[in-house]
Amino acid sequence: MDWRYWWLKIVCVVLFIYVFTRGLLTPLKPGIEEISPMRAKSGSSFDLNIKTYNTHLLSGDLRVFIKSKDSLLIESDSNTVHLDRELTAHFFIPKALPEPSKLSQYSIIISSSQDGTFVLPSKLIISQDSIDVQSGKEHWSQLHPEFSKLKEYRFPYRNILYETIRNTFFHVSLWFAMFALLGASVYNSYKYLKTNKISYDLASYSQVRTAVFFGVLGLMTGSLWARFTWGNWWTNDIKLNMAALSMLIYAAYLILRAGIEEIDRKARVSSAFNVFALVAIIPLIFVLPRLTDSLHPGNGGNPAFGADDMDNTLRLVFYPAVIAFTILGFWLANLSYRILILEAKFDHDDNI
Amino acid sequence: MLQLSEFLLMPFSLLSQGGEDFMRSSGKINVVYGVILIIFVGLILYVIRLDKRLKKLENNN
Repeated sequence: MDWRYWWLKIVCVVLFIYVFTRGLLTPLKPGIEEISPMRAKSGSSFDLNIKTYNTHLLSGDLRVFIKSKDSLLIESDSNTVHLDRELTAHFFIPKALPEPSKLSQYSIIISSSQDGTFVLPSKLIISQDSIDVQSGKEHWSQLHPEFSKLKEYRFPYRNILYETIRNTFFHVSLWFAMFALLGASVYNSYKYLKTNKISYDLASYSQVRTAVFFGVLGLMTGSLWARFTWGNWWTNDIKLNMAALSMLIYAAYLILRAGIEEIDRKARVSSAFNVFALVAIIPLIFVLPRLTDSLHPGNGGNPAFGADDMDNTLRLVFYPAVIAFTILGFWLANLSYRILILEAKFDHDDNI
Repeated sequence: MLQLSEFLLMPFSLLSQGGEDFMRSSGKINVVYGVILIIFVGLILYVIRLDKRLKKLENNN
């Protein structure tokens, strides 16, 4: 054991313990899974069947609302709870809607003394025959009822994702750690080109290898995640294809290195290649996906990790996870580097 | 080694209908376990490779 960076290694282990316990044991917030029917007509009463997630509907006082875009509310006149995760709410929709169109979207809000308040945004479509916004606004309540709040620390609920939102800590952190390693390896390549000391090249090589290893793990974990959320092992998402392309660029680096016999030439060529590789990858992964649409959050124009994709409860685990995976990456790269140095000493017996 | 190959083949066995339901049950939590398993197996393979390279060095010595 090399004790030079012992405190970093301890930080790494402690952070991993924190990430695994907090990341896996924190429950999700309650949410609304689905409603049926998804369409209703104004001026009529109807039963709305609601399936929820992570709730205790049987114990707790419930209030169910339909909310318009301008936060006008209609409360159900009676609720029947069937199971902890299933209820039927009976609504009467007034003749006039507070929207200037025949079809408009409404959100469902459930407020429970047990589970707090949760929303299904813009899922219910209500149609009307004639448009009268003024009378609609009068019929829909402008009151802001007291919504009960959940005080516990919980991760956000997202449809489709469900519990897999926790993969943020593992899959995304791998990519962050990969970029940290690639950045360090370019620095070492630059140092080699400047000083011609072979040890810098070996440091760079070991970091690239570990980064590629993380990248491959990132592709595999992403693929599994995609299969059960987006529906396929591999989608034509631009970020996926660009990530695969960058892995191929680094595969070329590894093959190039293996193909050159002479030590100094090997180091020079691969150092230069490495600098250009990272320069090529930054637009591939960070710029191009933002110019088109992507399934990944933070693409298609909006900044990464905006309020919609990442909330503070996730950040509290995500940032430690990034640090933990980054330290682990450098730790692994360092082990690999020390073996490379030993191999070089045995093979050439000169001063390194 | 037999167990390792079973781990590696897990994604393929999940393609079956039973696996589909398994992965989608309990709020898809098993997808998270699958991801952790992939990372864990990957790290083990990395360590095995380091082990082999060290062994070679020791033999040369």
